[in-house]
Amino acid sequence: MNLTSCPYEKEVRQLMARGQWPDACPAELRAHVGGCRSCGDLVLVSEAFQQARVESVAAARPVAPAVLLWRAQLRRRNAAVERVARPLLGAQVFACAVTVLAALGFAGFEARNGADWLTWSFWQDWLAQLPQAAASQWDGLSSGSLAGSAWGWLVLVPVLATVLLLGGVVVYLATDKQ
Amino acid sequence: MAPAEKRTRMQWEIALPNAWRGGEEDAARTAEPAMENEAFAAFYSRSARPLWAYLARSSADPALADDLMQESYVRFLCAAGAPSLATDGEAAARLYLFRIGTNLLRDYWRRPRAASIEEIPEEFFAVHGGAAQSEAQILLGPALKQMKPRERQMLWLAHAEGYSHREIAKVMGLHAASIRLLLFRARRKIAGLLRGSGAADGRRS
Repeated sequence: MNLTSCPYEKEVRQLMARGQWPDACPAELRAHVGGCRSCGDLVLVSEAFQQARVESVAAARPVAPAVLLWRAQLRRRNAAVERVARPLLGAQVFACAVTVLAALGFAGFEARNGADWLTWSFWQDWLAQLPQAAASQWDGLSSGSLAGSAWGWLVLVPVLATVLLLGGVVVYLATDKQ
Repeated sequence: MAPAEKRTRMQWEIALPNAWRGGEEDAARTAEPAMENEAFAAFYSRSARPLWAYLARSSADPALADDLMQESYVRFLCAAGAPSLATDGEAAARLYLFRIGTNLLRDYWRRPRAASIEEIPEEFFAVHGGAAQSEAQILLGPALKQMKPRERQMLWLAHAEGYSHREIAKVMGLHAASIRLLLFRARRKIAGLLRGSGAADGRRS
């Protein structure tokens, strides 16, 4: 495709920009545009687009600028709140990571020292004895003999505390998301 | 801080004053705002309609143009690097605004949709409230429909807004050298389409 532009193109463009085309334009230039494809395209396309611009600009129904200023202010505030919340999220992630690492470390330590509760057979036995153990614990608690159920309390209290703690964390995270 | 301003602040803003400003970086910006409300209103009144026309003609969807125009101004007001009317001038601000609009259009076209831009009915090209379609509308609408979105944008910026190749390159994020070639091809293509539809109309009449 030949990209060499016509030397008159710039002049034609300037005349059109000043609104002097075609009335206030020399007759020779008008004759040139009639015969030159590049200038003819320029005039045809520019006139069509200028006319379309006039119509489109008249058709526009812009909202009040105050609405946009308000929306921009709201968005800036939300962005600021997000910036403040970002370190909190980082702290939550850090706490979770530390907890997981501590748990893994503890499990590793126990495994190295040959803890039998890490074996599958231990948990099978534990599950089999669970109903009897629960019944005896309940009897101990209901009879009020605390000394007799000391081991039961040692298990029950941490379990309850963990459940409460995890419940609190879940509720906090859920409300935080909302 | 003025008492009136203090009253309008919320509790968390008083507890976290820097959060309201978004840190020290934005504090300077708030203290010395890039654009006063009156200046923005004046700029808006001069630039909103041309921007809407550009978006409406490029997208062939006036409702989309409404949304994108508002979003363009909100982003313009929120952008940290937006040119200031006082220091950079209105021309630079307008160019920046058109660039935001162009990027929003591009994002819109990239998103998967139920209907493609080519399937939008011809009625979307009609201007609001126009009782009868003008000659330019009748000729240009179908011709624009056959152009690629990027070609529509370039042609509009060059021939309706009168931007130079360098300015179009800034708005569209392309090299000025490629704009020259792309624009030349697009102009030749639409001129052919306009001549063709004009000749067809002449034959019909």
